[in-house]
Amino acid sequence: MKKAIILFLLFLALINCERDDICPETTPTTPHLIIRLYDISNQESNKNASKMRIQGVGNSEVLEDYNIVTTDSIVLPLKTDATVTEFSLHKDYEVDNNGTPTDPSDDIILGNEDILTITYATKKEYVSRACGYKTIFENVIVTQEDDGDNWIQLIQSVDDILTVDNENAAHYKIFH
Amino acid sequence: MQHIIKYSINNLAFIFLFCATINAQNDSIVSSISDLPKVETDSIKIQNKYGLRIGADVSKLVRSFIDDNYKGFEVIGDFRLTRKIYLAAEIGTEEKITDTDFLKATTTGSYIKAGVDYNLYKNWLDMENMIYGGFRVGASTFSHTLNDYTIYSQDQYWTPQFSSDTSEDFDGLTAIWTEIVFGIKAELFNNLYFGLNVQFKGLISETEPSNFENLYIPGFNKTYDSGRFGFGYGYTISYLIPIYKKDKALAVEE
Repeated sequence: MKKAIILFLLFLALINCERDDICPETTPTTPHLIIRLYDISNQESNKNASKMRIQGVGNSEVLEDYNIVTTDSIVLPLKTDATVTEFSLHKDYEVDNNGTPTDPSDDIILGNEDILTITYATKKEYVSRACGYKTIFENVIVTQEDDGDNWIQLIQSVDDILTVDNENAAHYKIFH
Repeated sequence: MQHIIKYSINNLAFIFLFCATINAQNDSIVSSISDLPKVETDSIKIQNKYGLRIGADVSKLVRSFIDDNYKGFEVIGDFRLTRKIYLAAEIGTEEKITDTDFLKATTTGSYIKAGVDYNLYKNWLDMENMIYGGFRVGASTFSHTLNDYTIYSQDQYWTPQFSSDTSEDFDGLTAIWTEIVFGIKAELFNNLYFGLNVQFKGLISETEPSNFENLYIPGFNKTYDSGRFGFGYGYTISYLIPIYKKDKALAVEE
């Protein structure tokens, strides 16, 4: 009897220690759209875009991790409260300060900026008590505005399902 | 009068110091019986009351008043089968609001639990207290209403995340579980019992709502991510309706 009581007190303590009210970082929640960059002339091989700066259209912050980096992989967060998200993919980003480093008013921004438009339908999917619901994206279509001088040559989906419900692999390919 | 006071004190001690009093009272049983003259012991004829004991779980009533997220009521009953074995059952209804950072859901439903209690306590003379272990099988029918939720996203580049307060119903859910119960029941006044118990539960089956989870099951209580176990407790007040009396066979056998 006494042993049983002690055992159950221990059991009780274990229940109280368990934290299932905090969403662990390792739990997959709302996924990002993953795009890989490929060489247009050799479509099997990845190709870096140099000095890339990515910023959401309508967002005043530059996308973290994409403030002038050379990369062949782009990970974009999509808006969960809208069905369209736009990003500016600015290649070879450079600021020419016109010889006046202290005066930003006459700066010229160099490089080539393309605007990606991502349209999709959102769907909620249950994760857990602590994380609640995540959004998965269906019918995801990536297009770009034709500005007469696009560095992006071709945008291709990796499959016909067009669903972004995990971050295991790339969802889209960009050839340049 | 002195007898009544002694009785009450014994009962109170039983409730508040029940762990310690097990040994203390056991000692007194042995000594008191051996101290008694032979003639008297033979003439002692102790009778136990058998009957139906019904009551309510006071803890659920109290919690209904102090916890805005909870309403519940439970009727308890047991029937004494033999000297140590009682058939026991609980019937209840609950409404619980689960409110986390990202969602709020209301669970309503009712449940029934049935099983057996086994009295582990050797009573002194004609006292009828219990320290018992028990077993139950429980079943619940319930529904959830998802009142609101906010999408969880680790990436907060775009804010805010989508949120909705359109309520959504998940109906016709059921669950079955088993319980091990440990508790005490003490006769405070004639036929009126006060009890405490803890319940350890293991979920056997449940209907999972689609695109949601049974965060709370009436009768089973909160569910846990890491397993199929649950936990509960109760404070009970119950009244014994005596149906018949039976001689306590082992009154002087030691």
